[in-house]
Amino acid sequence: MADHEHIPHPTPRQYVQIAVLLAVLTAVEVGLFYLEEGVEQIGTSITAPALIVLAFIKFAIVVGYYMHIRYEKPLVSRFFATGFIAALVLYAAVILAMLFSSNIL
Amino acid sequence: MADIAHADAHHDEHESTGIDSRKLGMWVFLSSEFFFFGALISNYMLFKGRDFAYETIMPRELYDIPFTSISSFVLLMSSLTMVLAHNALAEGDQNRTRTWLLATAMLGMVFIGGQYFEFTEFILEGMTLTSNPAASAFFMLTGFHGGHVFLGIVMLLSLYGISRRNGQLSEAQGLNLELVGLYWHFVDIIWIVIFTIVYLIP
Repeated sequence: MADHEHIPHPTPRQYVQIAVLLAVLTAVEVGLFYLEEGVEQIGTSITAPALIVLAFIKFAIVVGYYMHIRYEKPLVSRFFATGFIAALVLYAAVILAMLFSSNIL
Repeated sequence: MADIAHADAHHDEHESTGIDSRKLGMWVFLSSEFFFFGALISNYMLFKGRDFAYETIMPRELYDIPFTSISSFVLLMSSLTMVLAHNALAEGDQNRTRTWLLATAMLGMVFIGGQYFEFTEFILEGMTLTSNPAASAFFMLTGFHGGHVFLGIVMLLSLYGISRRNGQLSEAQGLNLELVGLYWHFVDIIWIVIFTIVYLIP
């Protein structure tokens, strides 16, 4: 049997600590939004990638700890990751279409 | 003996992967939902920065970031109450399970109420579903997400009602709570993406 089945689930106290972390990350995201609004020189070159990284961290925390994917069999992760990656490919295709065609529609 | 053999066969039928079929089914369903929301997000991205030949109000001009940040916080906290409901049931505390289920449903209602308020404000400002393609994409994306939240609230209240009526959630209903929890957290992670891509990134 895989080891992940023996990993103990977080305690209620740890769930609350995770929620506090998620709230702090959200506050940082909003702070970055206003930083970009206030300091135009920074532009989107720093804030957009930083916001995407922060969103991904929040996403991974919720999936890993609240959806308990860390404690599931690898098959579950594979199914879930397949959909997520496919959606990312779709999203990337749209971005590329936008970059290479200004009159796509 | 035949009963035991039948029970074993039944067990194998449901758990040949080692995972309950209903749970695996929910994970596959949630995985497919990435395609659904991926298409809607892509659609919004396609139109959000475009100039239109006619005068129109773009969604970005109307966003109220402090308000939406609070809505996002409320939905994040509903994920906490959901996982606490699941934890309480695992510990056999039925009263605490009901309390957290109700709290999750109420936080979901607050989020939906906020979305209703936001949509109303946008419409009063002159941006409707048909104002321009960006507005259509915005309402479609956030509206479908709101629809998912609404469905989650219905499922949460159903579980709460069953628990109140029977005095407890049985083992089978406990699995239902876990499945509803997975769905609820998924709705939360989709909002994490929407909040960043639609509201925060220019």
